Amino acid sequence: MPAAIRLRSVTKSYSKGGQTLRVLDELDLDMDAATFYALMGPSGSGKTTLLNLVGGLDQADEGVVQVGDEDLAAMQSSELAEWRSEHVGFVFQGFNLLPVLSARENVELPLLLAPLSRRQRRQQAERALELVGLADRMNHKPRELSGGQEQRVAIARAIATDPQVILADEPTGDLDRDTADAVLEMLRRLNRELHKTILMVTHDPQAATYADKTIHLDKGKLGRIEENATPTGGS
Amino acid sequence: MAIVPLQYNVRSLFVRSSSTILTVLAVGATIAVLAGMLSLQQGFAVLFQERGRTDLALFMRQGATSEGESGITLEQCNILKKEVPEVIRDDGGRPMASAEMFLAVRLRKFDGGETNVAIRGVEPMTFAIHGDDVVITEGENFTPGTDELIVGVGLLERIANCRVGDNLQINTSTFRIVGAFSGKGGYRSEIWGDVDRLSDALERPVRSRILARVSPDADLDAIAARYDDDLRLQPKVMNERDYLASQTSSLTTRFMFVGGFLALIMGIGAVFTGTNSMLAAIGARTHEIGILKAVGYKPWAIFVAFLGESLLLGLLGGVVGCLLVLPLQGAETGTVNSTFSEVTFAFRTTPAAMLTSILFAAGLGIVGGVVPAWRASRMTPTQALRRG
Repeated sequence: MPAAIRLRSVTKSYSKGGQTLRVLDELDLDMDAATFYALMGPSGSGKTTLLNLVGGLDQADEGVVQVGDEDLAAMQSSELAEWRSEHVGFVFQGFNLLPVLSARENVELPLLLAPLSRRQRRQQAERALELVGLADRMNHKPRELSGGQEQRVAIARAIATDPQVILADEPTGDLDRDTADAVLEMLRRLNRELHKTILMVTHDPQAATYADKTIHLDKGKLGRIEENATPTGGS
Repeated sequence: MAIVPLQYNVRSLFVRSSSTILTVLAVGATIAVLAGMLSLQQGFAVLFQERGRTDLALFMRQGATSEGESGITLEQCNILKKEVPEVIRDDGGRPMASAEMFLAVRLRKFDGGETNVAIRGVEPMTFAIHGDDVVITEGENFTPGTDELIVGVGLLERIANCRVGDNLQINTSTFRIVGAFSGKGGYRSEIWGDVDRLSDALERPVRSRILARVSPDADLDAIAARYDDDLRLQPKVMNERDYLASQTSSLTTRFMFVGGFLALIMGIGAVFTGTNSMLAAIGARTHEIGILKAVGYKPWAIFVAFLGESLLLGLLGGVVGCLLVLPLQGAETGTVNSTFSEVTFAFRTTPAAMLTSILFAAGLGIVGGVVPAWRASRMTPTQALRRG
C-alpha cells in the first residue's frame, strides 16, 4: 500500500566549526501517497536533510517523521536499517553503485536482506533491470556503463524490493539533458504505473516539471507547495 | 540475518591489490618465522621420540639428569648386569645389558669452527639390544678391542675426518673410521667405538649408563626401589622413551619460547600493518559503507564484513607463510642438545605445525581488523555518504 509522509515540528541541527546550524526548523509537512514530489530550494535550505530524515538515514532532533504507519524518530539504528531495506529505495546524484559488483549484483544487494531464495533474488533483480531497459547489461560492472546506464541501475536497485517510497537526491545532476529526461521519465512511470511515492530533490526547474507537486524549502522552513496540473512525461 | 555478500569483500581485496599484497607479505613473514620454529621443534621432538623404546631401560647414577653427568663404576655395572632379573637374556644366556661410556668431544666441522660431538663407547651387546634399529650403511662395524670407529650418518657431511677410511684423533689416540651407521633419533649424530678403547683414550674409567633390554612387564620403579638401601649402588632407572622426553623438553621449551617470542614481536608488527591496511581500505570505501547502510545493512553486518575481510587477509598471509616454509621440509640442521653434543635433525612441516601457524595468522587478521571494522560499523549512513 502506498505510504503517505507526515512531518510535525521537525527540527534538525548540525554542528560545524563549533557553531550549531539549524537546518530544519520546526517543519510541518504532509505528502500524499502515490504522488511524485519535487523538492526545491536554495543550497542550505535543508532539502537533502529532509530527504535523509524521510528515508531513515538520519534522525530528527525533535518532532515526528512518519512514513506510512511508522514513526521513524522512535526507531533504533538497527530498526531503521531494517525499515529502510523494506520500505524505501534511494537514488543518488553520484549513482552510488558498488564498483566491484556487477549491475545485477548491485541490484541484488537490498534483496539479500529479504527472505528470498537465490533464484527468486536473481529473478527479481533481472526483472528490475529489464524494467529500466538494462537486461543486456546485467553482468557489466559500473565502470563499463555510461552515466545514464549507471543511474538506471541505481533506479533498478531502488525498486528491486518493491518499496512504497523512492527518494531521489539530484538524480539527474550528473547527466546530460537527454539522459536526464530519460531518467525522469522512468521515475514518472514508476509513480504512474506502480504508484510509488516519490520525493526528488532537484535544482533543475525542468526536472521539477515531471513531478505532481513541487515543495519549496527556505532556510529550513516550508516555503510553498506548487501543484503541477500537467506534469511532463509518463504518457 | 543477512550479511554483506562475500564477493564484495573478496573483490575489494583484488581491487586494492598492492595494499593487499603488502599486508599478506607482512603477515606471511611473521607466519614463516613461527612455522619455521614449529617445524624445527617438531623435527627435534620426533628425532628423540621415535628413538625411544619402552622395553629399553637405562641405569644411571642417582641424581644424574643426563648420561653426560652420570658415572657408574665397572663393579657397579657388573652387579646390575647380573642381579636384575627383569633384564632379558639372549640365546647364550647372557644378560642383554651393555655398559656404555658417553662423552662430548670437540671436533672440527666442515664449514669451519668446532662443535661438540657425542662419542659413545659400546659393548657388542649394544648391537644385539638395538637389533634392526642400528644398521651399518657403509663399510663395516668396528672390531671389539681395536681402535676402530663407526660414524652416524648425520655426521658424515658435517664433521671433518669422519668419512669411512679417515683417521680421527681423539685425545692422544688415533682411531680409524671403518664404517657408517644409521640409527633412530640422535644415535645417527654419534660416533661409536669399543667402550674399553674409548675409555682409555678419553681417560674415563667409569661408564655413563647401562642400557638393558627388559621384559615388557618390568616395573622400573620397583627395580630402583630394590636398591634404596643398598650401599653398593643406588641407580636411577628409567625407560629410554622417558629419558629422551626429559632430554628434549628443555630444548623444546626453548624452541617454543624463541619461536613464540619472535612471532609475537613480528605479530605485533603484522597487526599494525593489517590495521593500517584495513583503516586505509575503509577510508577509501567510506562511501561504499554508506551505500550498504543506506540499502539497509545493519551495523553488525558491516562489522562482520570488514572483520571477515581482515580475517581473509590474515589467512592469505598464513598460507603464504606456510608456503615459504614448505621447501624446508626434510632440510637438515644441527644444534647442541642437553648433553652439549651436536645433533642433526630435519625440519618437519607437520600438518599440526601448519595448522597452528594458520590459526595464528587468522588471529592476527582478526586482531588487526577489530578496530577498523568497529569504526566502519559505527558510522551513520549520512556520515559515510558525505565523507565519500
